Amino acid sequence: MSTASRSLAPTVTRRAQARLGIVLVLPVMIVTALFFLFPLGNAVYYSLVDFDGLNPNPPFVGLGNFIRMVEDPAVWHALGNNLIWILVGTAAPMVVGLLVAMLLWTVRRGGAIYRVIFFLPYVLPGVAIGIVWGWIYDPVNGLLNQFLRSIGLGAWATGWLGEPDLALYAVLLTAIWAGTGFAIVIFLSALRNVDTELVDAARIDGANSAQRLWFIILPQIMPVFLMVLTLTLVGGFSVFDIIFVMTAGGPANATEVLGTYAYDQAFVLNNIGYGTTLALLITILSVPIAVLLNRLQRRLSLQGTGA
Amino acid sequence: MMTATAPAERDRRITELADPESGHDRSRIPGGRRSPAQVALHVLLAGMAVFVLMPVILVVSTTLKTPADVRVNPFGLFSSFSLQNIIDAWTVGRFSDYVLNSFLLTVPSTAIVVVVSVMAGYTFARLPFRGRTVLFYLVVLGLLVPFFTYMIPLYFQLRGMGLLDTLPGAILVLASTGTSFGTFFMRAFFSDLPQELEQSARVDGASEVQIFTRIMLPLVGSGIGALTVFTFLANWNNFLIPLLYLPSGDFRPLTAGLYMFTSGRSLDIGPLAAGTLITILPIIVLFVVLQRQVTQGFISGAVKG
Repeated sequence: MSTASRSLAPTVTRRAQARLGIVLVLPVMIVTALFFLFPLGNAVYYSLVDFDGLNPNPPFVGLGNFIRMVEDPAVWHALGNNLIWILVGTAAPMVVGLLVAMLLWTVRRGGAIYRVIFFLPYVLPGVAIGIVWGWIYDPVNGLLNQFLRSIGLGAWATGWLGEPDLALYAVLLTAIWAGTGFAIVIFLSALRNVDTELVDAARIDGANSAQRLWFIILPQIMPVFLMVLTLTLVGGFSVFDIIFVMTAGGPANATEVLGTYAYDQAFVLNNIGYGTTLALLITILSVPIAVLLNRLQRRLSLQGTGA
Repeated sequence: MMTATAPAERDRRITELADPESGHDRSRIPGGRRSPAQVALHVLLAGMAVFVLMPVILVVSTTLKTPADVRVNPFGLFSSFSLQNIIDAWTVGRFSDYVLNSFLLTVPSTAIVVVVSVMAGYTFARLPFRGRTVLFYLVVLGLLVPFFTYMIPLYFQLRGMGLLDTLPGAILVLASTGTSFGTFFMRAFFSDLPQELEQSARVDGASEVQIFTRIMLPLVGSGIGALTVFTFLANWNNFLIPLLYLPSGDFRPLTAGLYMFTSGRSLDIGPLAAGTLITILPIIVLFVVLQRQVTQGFISGAVKG
């Protein structure tokens, strides 16, 4: 569209457009340069020096921070937790979100109310969510243990966030509670665009409901499916708020992820250079995945419109 | 005529996406309104709704207990009634300050994001010039790189600029985290407007500025509305930026205040519940009142992304 206007418009118009364009784009460029590009460049610099936050001329260590990172078992442990977080924390909202969206798709009345309720946790701040779920998991008075006792499963009652084997999954459940509403609403909007005549035709041809879902409905919502997948996956690398508030990486580092580990290194232990290197790792890992999935999504959307 | 209907058409489409009662042909679904299948469906969905709402119910319940009851039975639902916890949180707990600070941070930063993004989005959609593509990629790079990556150098940069622990510093950083998405989002809205619109205005002698402000701007109202609500929510909920860049606590907003409250006096569950309620109440009200715009914003934001 823009190239068309460039070739069609006379020179006077083009000059006027360029003048206005440069003026209008100036504020965003100033903000971007000052508060994003400059600190991002500095992040690369910090990763190459041993900065303690005070020394104005920190010693250059080359790839020392990166070597230290590879040799640090805590990094691998945190990365493993990130992977669990990404796998479970992506799969669960996608599956549950699709199922609930299908239910809402078939409900005749009152769908709007459910949709508002299911989406609500997604707009709440992570700090508030973390505090309230901390109460639900409370070992003595928590609602979860109260509930287990009331249905005769009191033996299962435990200090959910205090158990190294359970804490990560307890926090994950909270994150799934908070994030699934987003998947539900997006999937529901995609399902409304599904060609119902195709679904009916498949029904008449004798396809059962599982076949209709797999062969007719899923392919049509695939681009949206991949889009939600990308957003959740990339978010999984930079998870911070909810873990920081609920467990701060504990107990005994059981819930440490790259985000909380980088925060501790930089702001608690003053290893600024090393902390920044860890934070860079988050980008290095998440950007290629985002780009790859985005490409795939684009190709599928183009196929969808082409067919 | 033709040209004016196209954006309206797009708006209608997005609204339809966000509106459960339209778009889909309900008559195709088997089973009447009161069929057993529909009743079972509602029972299932209502059960899920209770599960989803339980944490919010818990906050309200604990907030409205008497302090004595909180000590004995903090999480038993609605076992007593008192407003003491709200009063304590508001006065002793400094939540009145935190509310004010949340507005002082959120309103200006949201305004900056919307104004800057509308201007930039229009340029990247409709005002070509040499080097524009490179600038666009630099802005959109912000969507790919998590804030985490550069938050540490930004801390020392703000300290050097004298902006650490100041309202303007935190407002500018909050705004900067929203402009990538905002620009990308508004560009999509301006790109959808038909070419004939500006051409006919140009023939009528309108300047480029007039085309932008008088013709194009009024047509993306729904986009601006969605971006405003979306950015307001994101900035209100932001935790890391005030935690890192407002360390002294003079300008602490609700999220950071709530966190400090937990680490300071973790046993004061009553006022903590009240503080949590004060933090989420504006969001719930905003969300329920504007739920159509909010979900529409999230959907169109995600789909356009």
